[in-house]
Amino acid sequence: MTAPPGGEEPGVGIVVVSHSRALADAAVALAAEMLHGREPRIAVAAGIDATAFGTDAVQIKAAIERVDSEAGVVVLMDMGSAVMSAELALDLLEGPVRNRVLLSPAPLVEGLVVAAVAAAGGAARTEVAAQADAALLGKSAHLAADAPPADAPPADAPPADAAVDGGPSVVGTFTVENTQGLHARPAARLVAEVGSLDATVTLRNLTTGKGPVPAGNLLRVATLAASQGHVMEVAVSGRQAQAALDHLLALARRRFDEEPSTPGPTDSR
Amino acid sequence: MTNGATVEDLREWVRAFARRIESNKDLLTELDAAIGDADHGANMHRGLTAVVAALGDPGLDTPAAVVKKVGMTLVSTVGGASGPLYGTFFLRMGGALGDAQPVPPETLAAALRAGLDGVVARGKAEAGDKTMYDALAPALDALDEALAAGEPWPAAVRAAAAAAEAGRDATTPMTARKGRASYLGERSVGHQDPGAASTALLIASAVDALGADRERSTTTAGAAGDDSAP
Repeated sequence: MTAPPGGEEPGVGIVVVSHSRALADAAVALAAEMLHGREPRIAVAAGIDATAFGTDAVQIKAAIERVDSEAGVVVLMDMGSAVMSAELALDLLEGPVRNRVLLSPAPLVEGLVVAAVAAAGGAARTEVAAQADAALLGKSAHLAADAPPADAPPADAPPADAAVDGGPSVVGTFTVENTQGLHARPAARLVAEVGSLDATVTLRNLTTGKGPVPAGNLLRVATLAASQGHVMEVAVSGRQAQAALDHLLALARRRFDEEPSTPGPTDSR
Repeated sequence: MTNGATVEDLREWVRAFARRIESNKDLLTELDAAIGDADHGANMHRGLTAVVAALGDPGLDTPAAVVKKVGMTLVSTVGGASGPLYGTFFLRMGGALGDAQPVPPETLAAALRAGLDGVVARGKAEAGDKTMYDALAPALDALDEALAAGEPWPAAVRAAAAAAEAGRDATTPMTARKGRASYLGERSVGHQDPGAASTALLIASAVDALGADRERSTTTAGAAGDDSAP
C-alpha cells in the first residue's frame, strides 16, 4: 500500500509479534500517528486469540506473507516465546520470502515507531532494521547523560593513562561523514572494532566538547551525540597504539563501512 | 513394538501424552507458578486437546504426517515458550522419520534425537540450565545406550523414561538460566522445572504406548489406562 517516493514498488513490510493482541494493536496505533496518514504496511501476529496471551508461529508466518514484497519484511517482537515463535515462523516459510525477512532485537514500541517511519520513507529493509535496532539508544543516551555510571571517569579526565598500559599514547582526529552521525550501526561497528584491539581507546567530540568516553562502550559513545560533520578525537594507548589508531581512522574514513550504496562521489577511499 | 512403530503406535503415544498432561495439568501449573507465569499446565492442556482432535484426521496415514501434524498444532495452540519448543521437537522429529512403515527402533531413536537438536537450536539451552533439555537429553542418551547394548525396544524405552524422571528431579537444585524463571536467579533453586516435568511425561507416555511387550495389535492402551476420557 505504501509507495516509497518515486517508485511503484511497495515498501518494507513490518510484522508486530506480541503475547497480547491489545498491546500490539495499540503499538501499531501509536506508530501510525507518526505516519501522518500514510498507510503503513504493518501486520499484527499477537495473542493466541483476541484475549488469550501467547504467540503462534503459524500466525506470524501468515502475517509475514501478508506484508511481504520484494522489499522484504522486518519483524519486531516482545519477549520470550515471541522470539522463538518468530524464528520458527522463518523455518516454516518457503522460498525467497524467508531470505528477505529480518528479525529485529529492538524494543517493541520504540523499534516499531522508528521502523514504521523509516519504512514509510522508503528505506531498504536493512536500514529499517538498523534504525529499529538503534531505537533504544536515544533513551539510553538521555538517561546516561543525566546520570553517568558511577565507575565512569570524570568527564574532563584526560584520556586513559598511557602508563597503565605500558605503551605509547597517540592521538588522531576524524570527521564524522555518516549522514546518520555516529549512531546505530556505525557506532556499533566502532565499538566492536575497539573491542577487538589490544589497546585502550577513548573518544572525544571536539565540536561539542563532550567526552572523552571509553570507545568500547556503545551507550557512552552515544552520549557524544556525534553528528555528521563533527570532529572527533581518538586517543589510543597500549602496545599497538599506533596500529590501532591507524586502523580506527581508516575505518572512519570508510564511513564505518556503512552507506555503501549511497549515490554520489565515493569519497576519500 | 519389536518390529517398529506404526502410525497407530505414534498416535497412541501422543494420546497417552495428552492423558498424562490432563491428569497432571494442575501440578504443572503449580510448578510454573513457583518460578514462571503459572500457565504451563493450562497451555499444554490446551495444546494437547487440540492435538488429539487433529489426530482424528484419517488423512494422516504416515508416521511423519502424524508427528508433523502434532508439531504444527502445538505451535498454534500452546501459546507460551513450550509452543515453539515442543512444536520444533515434533516438526524436526517428523522430518527425520523417513518413509519406512513401521518405523524401525533405530530410526525412531534417531528421529527423537533430531527433535532434541531442534529444541537446542530453538531454545539455545544447555545441560544444567533448568529446562526441558535436562530431562530430554538424558532420556535419549539412555535410549541410544540401551539400543546399542542390544536391549529390546520396550526395555530401552523404560530406561529412557527412568532417565527422564531422574533428569527432571535433578532440575530442582538448579538455578534457572533460561526463560522467565531466569529472572528469579537464585530464587529458582528448590523448584522442579515445569518444562522438564512435562518432558518426563512425554517419555513416560512412550512407555504407555510403545513400551509394552507387544501383543497390542488387537487390545488397546494397556498401561495407559482408560481410553474413553475425551
